[in-house]
Amino acid sequence: MNAYAPILGLILLAAVFAVGSVAFSVVAGPKRFNRARLDSYECGIEPTPQPVGGGRFPVKYYLTAMTFIIFDIEIIFLYPWAVRFDHLGVFGFVAMVTFIFLITVPFIYEWRRGGLDWD
Amino acid sequence: MNAPTIEYAELAPLITIFGAAVIGVLIEAFVPRKVRHPVQVAVALLALVAALVQVILLAGTGMVAAVGAVAVDGPALFLQGTILVLAIISVAFFAERRLEAGGDAFAPAASTLPGSEEERILVRERMLQTEVYPLALFAVGGMLLFPAANDLLMLFIALEVMSLPLYLLCGMARRRRLLSQEAALKYFLLGAFSSAIFLFGMAFVYGYAGTLRFGEISEALTANIGQDGILLAGVGLMAVGLLFKVGAVPFHSWTPDVYQGAPTPVTGFMAACTKLAAFGAMVRLFYVAFGGMRTDWQPMLWAVAIATMLVGAVVALTQTDIKRMLAYSSIAHAGFVLTAMVAADQTATAAILFYLATYGIATLGAFAVVTLVRDSGGEATHLAKWAGLGRRSPVLAATFALFLLAFAGIPLTSGFVGKLSVFTAAIDGGAAPLVVVGVIASAIAAFFYVRVIVLMFFSDPAPEGPTVAVPSLWTAVGITLGAAATLLLGIVPGPLLDLAQQASLFVR
Amino acid sequence: MTFPWLTTLIALPALGAVLTALVPSGRGTLAKQVATGAALVTLVIGALISIQFLFDVDMGVEAETYEWIPEFGASWALDVNGISLALVALTVLATPIVALAMWHEAEDEKRDPKAFFALLLAVEALTLTAFLAQDVLLFYVVFEAMLIPLYFMIGMYGGPQRRYAAVKFLLYNLVGGLAMLAAVIGLYVQSIDAGDPSFFLPDLVALDIDTTTQWWLFLGFMLAFAIKAPLWPFHTWLPDAAAEATPANAAFLSGVADKVGTYGMIALVLPLFPDASRDAAPVIVVLAVVSIIYGALLAIGQTDMKRLIGYTSISHFGFIVLGIFALTGQAATGATFYMVNHGLSTIALFVVVGFLVSRRGSRQVDDFGGVQKPAPKLAGVFLFAGLSGLALPPLSTFLSEFLVISGTFLRYRPAAIVATLGIVLSALYILWLYQRTMTGPVRPAVEGMPDLRTREVAVVAPLIALLVVVGFFPKPLTDAIDEAVGPTLVEVGVEEPEPLAPVAEHVEEGTGR
Repeated sequence: MNAYAPILGLILLAAVFAVGSVAFSVVAGPKRFNRARLDSYECGIEPTPQPVGGGRFPVKYYLTAMTFIIFDIEIIFLYPWAVRFDHLGVFGFVAMVTFIFLITVPFIYEWRRGGLDWD
Repeated sequence: MNAPTIEYAELAPLITIFGAAVIGVLIEAFVPRKVRHPVQVAVALLALVAALVQVILLAGTGMVAAVGAVAVDGPALFLQGTILVLAIISVAFFAERRLEAGGDAFAPAASTLPGSEEERILVRERMLQTEVYPLALFAVGGMLLFPAANDLLMLFIALEVMSLPLYLLCGMARRRRLLSQEAALKYFLLGAFSSAIFLFGMAFVYGYAGTLRFGEISEALTANIGQDGILLAGVGLMAVGLLFKVGAVPFHSWTPDVYQGAPTPVTGFMAACTKLAAFGAMVRLFYVAFGGMRTDWQPMLWAVAIATMLVGAVVALTQTDIKRMLAYSSIAHAGFVLTAMVAADQTATAAILFYLATYGIATLGAFAVVTLVRDSGGEATHLAKWAGLGRRSPVLAATFALFLLAFAGIPLTSGFVGKLSVFTAAIDGGAAPLVVVGVIASAIAAFFYVRVIVLMFFSDPAPEGPTVAVPSLWTAVGITLGAAATLLLGIVPGPLLDLAQQASLFVR
Repeated sequence: MTFPWLTTLIALPALGAVLTALVPSGRGTLAKQVATGAALVTLVIGALISIQFLFDVDMGVEAETYEWIPEFGASWALDVNGISLALVALTVLATPIVALAMWHEAEDEKRDPKAFFALLLAVEALTLTAFLAQDVLLFYVVFEAMLIPLYFMIGMYGGPQRRYAAVKFLLYNLVGGLAMLAAVIGLYVQSIDAGDPSFFLPDLVALDIDTTTQWWLFLGFMLAFAIKAPLWPFHTWLPDAAAEATPANAAFLSGVADKVGTYGMIALVLPLFPDASRDAAPVIVVLAVVSIIYGALLAIGQTDMKRLIGYTSISHFGFIVLGIFALTGQAATGATFYMVNHGLSTIALFVVVGFLVSRRGSRQVDDFGGVQKPAPKLAGVFLFAGLSGLALPPLSTFLSEFLVISGTFLRYRPAAIVATLGIVLSALYILWLYQRTMTGPVRPAVEGMPDLRTREVAVVAPLIALLVVVGFFPKPLTDAIDEAVGPTLVEVGVEEPEPLAPVAEHVEEGTGR
C-alpha cells in the first residue's frame, strides 16, 4: 500500500482544491445580480443569439474533433514503432504500412462523404 | 523485442472478415449509389461464407496463435462457425427490401434529425443506405475475436470492436426513429460504462498476475497465495463487464429497451450473435484464466444465475410488446446458460456450446417472424395486434409457435435438448438447487409463451389488424432454415451434440 | 431381423396424421376418411400384437432398441408387457371409435376438420410410444409432446370457455412435466455417477439410489403423474377440460391420454424408486381415497353433463391409483384392468352424452327429460354406459373394481372400506342423472329427438360388446396383466400379504364364488 499512498494524497489534494475553490467563491463572492455575468462567454465578443429553446450544437465541431482524435492516435502509435523499427525488420515495415493504409481508409470515406467540407 | 510470428492460416477467418469490412467501407466511398447495395451484400455474404469455410477447415486445431493473444481451439472454432452461420442469415435479413414500403428497415441517413426536412427529402427520393453491411462485418469480426481472445488486452479490444458498430446499428431504424436513437444512446452509455469497469477489473488482474495471458494468469493463481484482494476485485469487475454484455441480472436493464428500439433485423443479429460471443469469452476467461479459483467465483454465479432466470421469467409476464417480451426471455435464457457455467468442467462447456447454438437459431428465426407482421405504422409489435394470426396465416403462426415452444423447452424442439444438456451439466456439477430454480423459471416462462400461442390461435383477430407481409427469398429462406433446424435438432440432436462435445476442450 | 411390430404400430398413426394434414383444405370428408382408415389399420396391427400375449401365439413381437442420442445414452427402446399391452389395446381400439364419434364435431367451428383428426392421430402415436417406451428420456419426450396436440384440440374445437380450459390444461401439465424434467435429469446423473450413463429403463431400475435422493426423484415423477392422472388435489384442470372439449375429444382425453399418468406410476415410479414408493404408499392411498369420494360427491351435484362425467373420471382414477399403491398383486392387476375398463366405460359415457348434446344443443341436465320415449335405443345405451360406470356385474368394470378393493383390503383395510362408499356414490350420480334426463315426463323440447343413427350405432356397439365380453371372459387379459404385475411388485420389494380366505378352503366349503 505504501506505493499508492502518494496517489491517494494527490487525489485528496485535487478534491480539496476543487471543492474548496467552488465553496470559497460561493461563500466569499459578492451576490449582485448582473445580466452580463449570466450571459454565455464567447471569448469576449457579443454572444451570437441562439434560437428559442436552446440552439443545437453544430455537429461539424464534433466531427472535426473526432477526425483529429483518430489521426492523433495514429501518430501516437507511430512513436513506439519508430523506436524499435530496426529490430522489427520487414514484418514491422509491412505491418506499419498496413496500419497506415487502414487508417487512410476512413479518411477516404470521410473525404468522399463530405466530412471534410466545412458546411 | 523482435518481430513476432503470426500464424496467418489460423487467423484467416478473422483476416477475411476484417478485410471485407474495410473493403465495404471503400465501397461506400467509391461505388456509385445505384449498384452499391448488390455489391455490398455480395461482398458481405462472400466474406462470411469464405470465413465459414476457413473455420471448418481449421477444425481440430488446438493452439494459441499470435504470440499467445488468440486461441484457436475447439470452443473458439465452434462458436466462430456458429456466429458466422447466424451472421450469414442475419445479413440476408438486412438485405430484405420487400417488406417496407420505403425500402428496407434502416433509416436513409442516420445522421438526419427525425422529422426534419432532410429526412423527408431522402425518403421521398427513396434513398437507401448500405452502411449497415460494413458495420455488421466489423461487429462480426469482433464477435469472432471475442471468444477466441487469449489475452486480456485482446479481450477488451474484441469487446469494443464488437460493441461499437452495434451501438450504431441500433440507432438506424427507419420507423420510430426517436425510440431507436434512444435505444442506441442507452446501449452506448451503459456499454461504455461497463467497458470501463471491465478495463478497471483487467487492470487489477494484471496487477495481481503480472501478465495478460490467460494461461499465465492461471499459473500465477497457484503461485501467489495471499494478496487475494486485488484478484477478487479484478475478477468481480471483469465479471460485471461480461455479464452486462450477456444481459444477466442486475446488468440487464439495457436489454429490453435496446431490443425494442433497434431495427428488428439488427435485434435478431444482436440477440443471437452477441450472446454467443460474450458467453464464449466469459467461459474461456473463467475456465482457463480463473479456473483455479473457482470456489471464489462460483457463489457469485449462483446468485447471478438465480436472479437472472427468475427476473427474466417474471418480468416477461408483464410485457405487452413482443420485442420486449422476447428480450426478457433472452435474459432468462442467459440465466439457464449460467447454471451450466457454475459446473466448470468439460461437459458444462459442451452443454453451453450446444445450448448457445440452438438458442441462436431459434432467436434469429423468431425475430425474423416479427418483421413480417406489419400494419400501416411499420411492424405491429404490440401483443394485442397479434390476436388471431393463426387464422389468417397459419403457416407463419405455426412457425412462430414452434420457436416459442423451443424457447419454452417443450420436447421435440431443440430448446428441450439444450435445456436437458445444460441442466444435466449443472446437476452433475453439484448445482441441483440451480436446476430447481431453473425448472420453476421455465414453468413461469411457459406461461407467457403459451399466452402468445393462445393469442395467435384461439383469439379473434382485431378488426383493423395487421397483415402478414410476404417476404422475399432473403427472409423466407432464413426463417425456413431456422424452423427446420429447430425441429430437426429436437428429434435427432446427436450430430450437433457430438460436435459440441469434441469441441469442448480449451487450449491452455 | 424380424418385423419391427412396435415401431410400425407407432409409425402408422404418425403417418396417418401427416397424410390427413396433407389432404387439401375443403375436402373435409376425405380427411376424416383417411384418418379413420389409418386408425383402423393401426387397430389391426395392435390386434395382431395382442394375439401374441393374450393367446400365447408367437407373432414375432419382441423388444426393439435403436440408438437415438448416444451422447446421452438415450435410445429408441420399445417393449411390451402385460400392463402396456392392455393400454396399447385400449388405445388402438379407442382411436377409430373416437374418430367415428367426432365425425361431425369439428363442423361447428368455421375451421377445416382435418386438423382435428390429424391431431387425434398424432396424440395416438405419442400415447402408444409412451406405453411402449423402455427409455426414460423417450417416455418424457412423448409425455410432454403429447400436451401440444391435445391443447390445440381442446382450444380450437370446443365450448365457449375452451381457451381457458385449454390453457389451464397445458400449463398445469407443463408444470408437472417440468418437475419431472428435474427428476429425470437427477436420475440420469445418478446413472452417470454409477459409471454408465444411460436412460434405458432396465439399467436405471438396476441402479441403487440412496433413500433421500429417491424421495426427491419420486416427488418429481409423482407430481407430474398425479397432475396427469389426475389425483386430488391436482385435478382441477380436468372438469374444465372435460366440459369444454368436444365430447369425443373429452372421451379420448380422459379415456386414453390420462392413462399415461397412471401407467407411469405403475411402470416407472414403482420399479425406479421402490423405497420411496413403499414409504409414501400410505399417503398416496389416502389421497386416492379422497379422490374417490370427492370426485363422486361433486359429480352428484353437477348440472353440466360433461362436467359430471369429468368428475366421475376423477373418482375412477382414484380407484386406479389406490390399486397401484396398495402394493398387492391383486390390487395392481385390478388397477391395470381398471384402466382398460374405465377407458371403455368413460368413452361410452362421453360419446352418448355427445349424442344428446348434439341433438339438444345444450349440456345442461335441466334441458332434458323423458328422452327414453322418443329415443329408446339412445336411452338404453345411455343406461348401459351408466351401469358400466357404476360397476354393475357382470360388466367388466365390476371385476376390476372388485379386484382393486379386495386387493387394497389385504393391506389397508380402512381405505378399502371408505373406497366402497365410492361405489354407492357412483350409483347415486349415475342413476340420478339417468332419471333426470331419460325418465319422467317428456319435455316439449325433446319430443322430436331422433334415435340412434347408423354411425352412432357403429360407435357404441363395439364398446358395449367389449364391456360384456371382457366381463364374462377376462382371463386372457388378466393373465397377461398378472404376468407383468408380479415382477413389478418384486422390484418394489413388498411381501404379498396372505389372502384372507385361501381358494382351497372355499372350494372345499363349496361356496365357489
